[in-house]
Amino acid sequence: MTETIVVTSGKGGVGKTTTSASLATGLAQRGRKVAVIDFDVGLRNLDLIMGCERRVVYDFVNVIHQEATLRQALIRDKRHETLHVLAASQTRDKEALTRDGVQRVLEELAAEGFDYIVCDSPAGIEKGAFLAMYFADRALVVVNPEVSSVRDSDRILGLLASKTRKAESGEGGVPAHLLLTRYNPVRVEAGQMLGIRDVEEVLGLPVVGVIPEHESVLMASNQGVPVILDEGSQAGQAYADAIARLLGEERPLRFTEAPRKGLFKRMFGS
Amino acid sequence: MATAASPAVPVCDLRFGQVGIANVRVLADDAPALYETLAERVRKAPQLFARAAVVLDLGHLPQDLQRDRAAALLEAVRAAGMLPVALAYGSRHTEDLAQSLGLPLLAKFRAAYEPDATGAPTAAPAPSTPAAAPAPAPGVALPALHHAQPVRSGQQLYAEGRDLVITANVAAGAEVISDGSIHVYGSLRGRALAGAGGSEQARIYCRSFHAELVSIAGRYRTFEEIPDDLAGRAVQCWLEGEKLMIARLER
Repeated sequence: MTETIVVTSGKGGVGKTTTSASLATGLAQRGRKVAVIDFDVGLRNLDLIMGCERRVVYDFVNVIHQEATLRQALIRDKRHETLHVLAASQTRDKEALTRDGVQRVLEELAAEGFDYIVCDSPAGIEKGAFLAMYFADRALVVVNPEVSSVRDSDRILGLLASKTRKAESGEGGVPAHLLLTRYNPVRVEAGQMLGIRDVEEVLGLPVVGVIPEHESVLMASNQGVPVILDEGSQAGQAYADAIARLLGEERPLRFTEAPRKGLFKRMFGS
Repeated sequence: MATAASPAVPVCDLRFGQVGIANVRVLADDAPALYETLAERVRKAPQLFARAAVVLDLGHLPQDLQRDRAAALLEAVRAAGMLPVALAYGSRHTEDLAQSLGLPLLAKFRAAYEPDATGAPTAAPAPSTPAAAPAPAPGVALPALHHAQPVRSGQQLYAEGRDLVITANVAAGAEVISDGSIHVYGSLRGRALAGAGGSEQARIYCRSFHAELVSIAGRYRTFEEIPDDLAGRAVQCWLEGEKLMIARLER
């Protein structure tokens, strides 16, 4: 059985692609056969974060337009052989995507025996984002602890519940999980950021994971290594926790409290 | 009674009262189909509909009826087992029709039946068909529209001709609209417009008040800042004259 998971948010720059890369990698680390698709046609980024940008020959749009086969376009990950990337086209725009074409690609991936298909949605609520979520079985909604991101995520949650195949077929919409990224406990305590409870209350959903804001995320992106592979970093560990929870395991939330200053630091400043 | 002799006992007592009466809104000039539909109703619920007095509302037909066509419709209703006792108030043409058929007109109990009603410009932006609500017979109120899912930013929910009950949150940027009252058993962060069809008796209730805008029968208030004594509290809103009142439900 193939499960299609869309990673979406409404707002840009909240960490969708970072999350897609780590989610796909984390699932592959567990031995699952995974394909991750970049739906951000025209602004392709996933290949950079996955570190395969120089191996893109054919892309998602080529497959949709039957200019290449799926096998030709899938890029196998260097580190995990069950992980494959389907890059977006940089030279086209979202209009190059069609619902039938997307459906055909997803069905073909299912026929190839993939366990998971991760759809990395573009920002916004237009065609690319719509098609990324339309066929999903589950959604991971990435949200930052600030009001505009929360509102955009709320909009996306509404669309998941109404404008998807699951909604149209009367199955009650796509079940969604909330992933809080760029969380900074110190700034939350200082009142500069929304806390976990605030976000959960406004959106009416519990979080499936909280990824702390950390420079390791940016470094990993720049090096083309999904941050989940940086096992020493809190962000990497938090992603591993979140994926475990997505798969039904129970794990306590970590890295969500501001570190207490010790007596020495309090006396002499940090 | 026995004694017509005693003048102290009046022969009759004339009063106006409210009587439950069903309204048959005719949507097509098709007597056989009308017969089929109503006969089916009578067969399914004879206690309710057999020999029930009904008012025929001809105001929703695409065009005015000739007398014999109207008589055919009345005959269809009778044949189905109901007793048509009047026509519903409508246009001048309906008045003439009632006159020639020897039937009373039942007074305008709904301003909405005025064809192309001028006046009554209720400011409320009801999104679809204006007040196509059937006139509910007294005692047979339309049940509220019940919504258990969160109303998300960008979504719009409209309860036509009835109350709206939401047992979840209404997010900022969402809009909930009702021709009756609105009850939100969750937080209200978006916009709530009650009495969209003009009903000034409509109210808005919510369990946790953070609304962007509340409106009753077109009178509205926006909230750039929610007053401290209302924010997050259980609140109700109602109209007093032209004034939109808001108060906490519990002290």
